[in-house]
Amino acid sequence: MNGLFQYVPGNSPLHRMNPVTKILLTLSVCIAAFLTDNLFVLLFLLVFDLMIGVAAGAARKAFSIFKGLFKVSLFLFVLQVLFIRRGNRLFWIVTDEGLLTAAAVVLRLLVVCLPLALILTVTQVSDIANAMVQVLHVPYAYAFTLTTAIRFIPQFMEEMGGIMESQTARGVEFDSKNVFKKLGMLFPLCAPLLISSVRRTGATATAAEVRGFNLRTRESGYKRYGFGLVDLAAVLISAALIVGAVLIP
Amino acid sequence: MICAEQVSYSYSGGGQTVSDLSFRIEKGEFVAILGENGAGKTTTVKLIDGLLRPTSGRMLVNGLDTAKTRVSERAKQVGFLFQNPDRQICKNTVREEIAFGLRAVWGKQEEEKIRARTDELLALFSFRGDEEPFSLSRGQRQQVALASTLAVKPAVLILDEPTTGLDYRECTRIMEFIKTLNETEGTTVVMVCHDMEVVLDYARRALVMAGGRLLADGPVHEIFRDTALMEKASLLPPQIVQIAGRLGGDYAHADDAETLSGLIAAAAERRRA
Repeated sequence: MNGLFQYVPGNSPLHRMNPVTKILLTLSVCIAAFLTDNLFVLLFLLVFDLMIGVAAGAARKAFSIFKGLFKVSLFLFVLQVLFIRRGNRLFWIVTDEGLLTAAAVVLRLLVVCLPLALILTVTQVSDIANAMVQVLHVPYAYAFTLTTAIRFIPQFMEEMGGIMESQTARGVEFDSKNVFKKLGMLFPLCAPLLISSVRRTGATATAAEVRGFNLRTRESGYKRYGFGLVDLAAVLISAALIVGAVLIP
Repeated sequence: MICAEQVSYSYSGGGQTVSDLSFRIEKGEFVAILGENGAGKTTTVKLIDGLLRPTSGRMLVNGLDTAKTRVSERAKQVGFLFQNPDRQICKNTVREEIAFGLRAVWGKQEEEKIRARTDELLALFSFRGDEEPFSLSRGQRQQVALASTLAVKPAVLILDEPTTGLDYRECTRIMEFIKTLNETEGTTVVMVCHDMEVVLDYARRALVMAGGRLLADGPVHEIFRDTALMEKASLLPPQIVQIAGRLGGDYAHADDAETLSGLIAAAAERRRA
């Protein structure tokens, strides 16, 4: 999980692409996934996601994200199949509509989550923020909020690990099989995490202020984010994905 | 009390490993584990506490294999004071915080006993029971964490850089408390510490680590006097030991000295003898 949102350096077309184009491409995949109900289109989008991972030289990472998501998807699939009772009964309580809807939901989840994780593999978070400010005219404070949230995920994971260790040392049994006991253990985890997060927020704010946070404008960025041929191709692919999703019944 | 038998451990994510650790720590000892950052000190104490399980070898505490002991059972034997008390404190009042560890280990049915022990600790540390732990100073929070660790009367107390971020007075208060505990109750103390002055003042034996291996094991004064070893482990002995070493002669063997005047007096005593 720690490495999930980590940037992997490289020089692929996807690495060189304008961060805004990458956001556009990601959003287009998501929009296309929500517009279509066709399982084949969803499957195509999933293959497209994985191909993007391969093109970015992060094939292993893309597949490991896919593997991680697959477990959640399987659980979701079973739930959907059990709860949807419409359509023709195939066997036991399983219906054809239940199976199709469950497959669509799971595929959609995979299609949407993969590019969101992949974009962070090929783009540095600071580049996303700077490009958003420069190209999309997003106020820096908002872009900063987004990047800080992403950047803090591994730190939260580490903090959580440390807190669990501290509580385990005091005799809190996290490996207990009793569900109610487990629920009761959430509190000793949440309180320290919340307090440390609030403290960290204060420290981050101070650190940002002393480095001239309020003086930052669109012109402050040193790096310029231009549009090239790769970006044009990505825009065209984005449009094609959405149009395809709408037109293919 | 603590017995490491060729213990090795490596983190799955790649991180610092320790290999082939073998040592014995007897009941009532005060041991410091020394070494530069990344030497494997914290991994070693986590292995003693059972937070990490050896990938090979055995770690025995009080005759029990840490890899096979339940969390609550192990917490009765070993108390662990972490560097950061904020990862431990989770209750609204100091009283509740101290009682929390007791409930986890003794069980909720022992409420009377828990209340009595909590009162005892509140008095010992001069805390008000209704104080909010998070509004206390860093040093006081560390003391709350220590109080709640000691509540279950562990036979072994592990301290992972307990004095980091504390001022001299706070540091002395905590260390004096631990020293008394070690001397009167016979609690075995294992301490990871970067402050060599603290090590010299309180610990009696030191294990020196580098690159995940045990370099040396012996009385603190002898360890500090071994300049080649200190250099190998990238450590700097306390100033008083350095001065004694430079002066040589009677001074170099004035082992008990912790202050300059003590060093001069000890050297004079040696000369007279």
